[in-house]
Amino acid sequence: MALTALICDDSLLARNQLKKSLPSVFDADILTAGNGVEALTILRTREVGLVFLDLTMPELDGVGVLEAIKAEAMDCLVIVVSADIQPEMQKRVMELGALAFVQKPATADKLAAVMHKYGLI
Amino acid sequence: MTELHFSDVQRDCLQELVNVAMGQASDKLARYLGTFVHLQVPSIALVEATLLSQHFANRYQQQSATLVSLGFFGDQGLRGETIMLYQLANAGVIARLLGYSDDAVSEAEMLTDISSVLTTTFLSGLAEQLENSFSYAAPRILSSRDQYFADKLAYTAEQWQLALQVDIRYQLTDYSFNCDMILLIPGEAVLRLRQTLDNILAEF
Repeated sequence: MALTALICDDSLLARNQLKKSLPSVFDADILTAGNGVEALTILRTREVGLVFLDLTMPELDGVGVLEAIKAEAMDCLVIVVSADIQPEMQKRVMELGALAFVQKPATADKLAAVMHKYGLI
Repeated sequence: MTELHFSDVQRDCLQELVNVAMGQASDKLARYLGTFVHLQVPSIALVEATLLSQHFANRYQQQSATLVSLGFFGDQGLRGETIMLYQLANAGVIARLLGYSDDAVSEAEMLTDISSVLTTTFLSGLAEQLENSFSYAAPRILSSRDQYFADKLAYTAEQWQLALQVDIRYQLTDYSFNCDMILLIPGEAVLRLRQTLDNILAEF
């Protein structure tokens, strides 16, 4: 059964960019969410194995999503894809359980490298 | 003027490019000041430049503000000006943080330095995504303590027919300080920008 992956970003461009830049060998059903609240609704009702998570978002930001995933012990891997590249922010999301941090814009090379590193492709 | 408006998709695209550039600028600022910069989603509006001075006058009515402007010029007619606005009540905090002495000359120097870190990093990040490259004019500084502040602000705004007002708030968590950044782009450059956005959108 194919894995289900969720792309969460408030920008349509960023969601499309990421979707299109995913490695072709990555066999997954792709869901999308436009903010953290939408993402949590999906995560609570669907079985999602991997989340690509933006940080700066309205409603509920990426840090809030990570906190909820941790608090509710949801079983999914999170790759943060963000423009907020400050070391302190990277440290914070890694402490909250993120698997990896990808600096925006998410290019095919960057995604392939990180997904290969963690055995996702 | 209405033919210069952005569609929702174009606006989303620009917003994302601004986000990425802002992230790079914030990172630079955070390293420069040795603190953390809280990022918010920037708001983008296309406004008539003539209305800007009134907008600023209202916003900064109660406190003294300093404005640092920087002109930029890119390929294919893409050009504009960035305006950074600082509320002076907070300037002393940053001056002490960076080791500037506490006088008006040092304050101007400090704000010019910070603006330069922020705007050149922001603009080069934006240019890279637009597959363009910018060169910069010398920064210009303007204080609201100057009696002609409103006039000068009005003059600055009137040079541009249209302004792409990108309200970016850089807020530091450790210190009470924030500044606003406004991106002003003339009408023909807005058209150029829109075309570039369409090219980017066509790729995805």
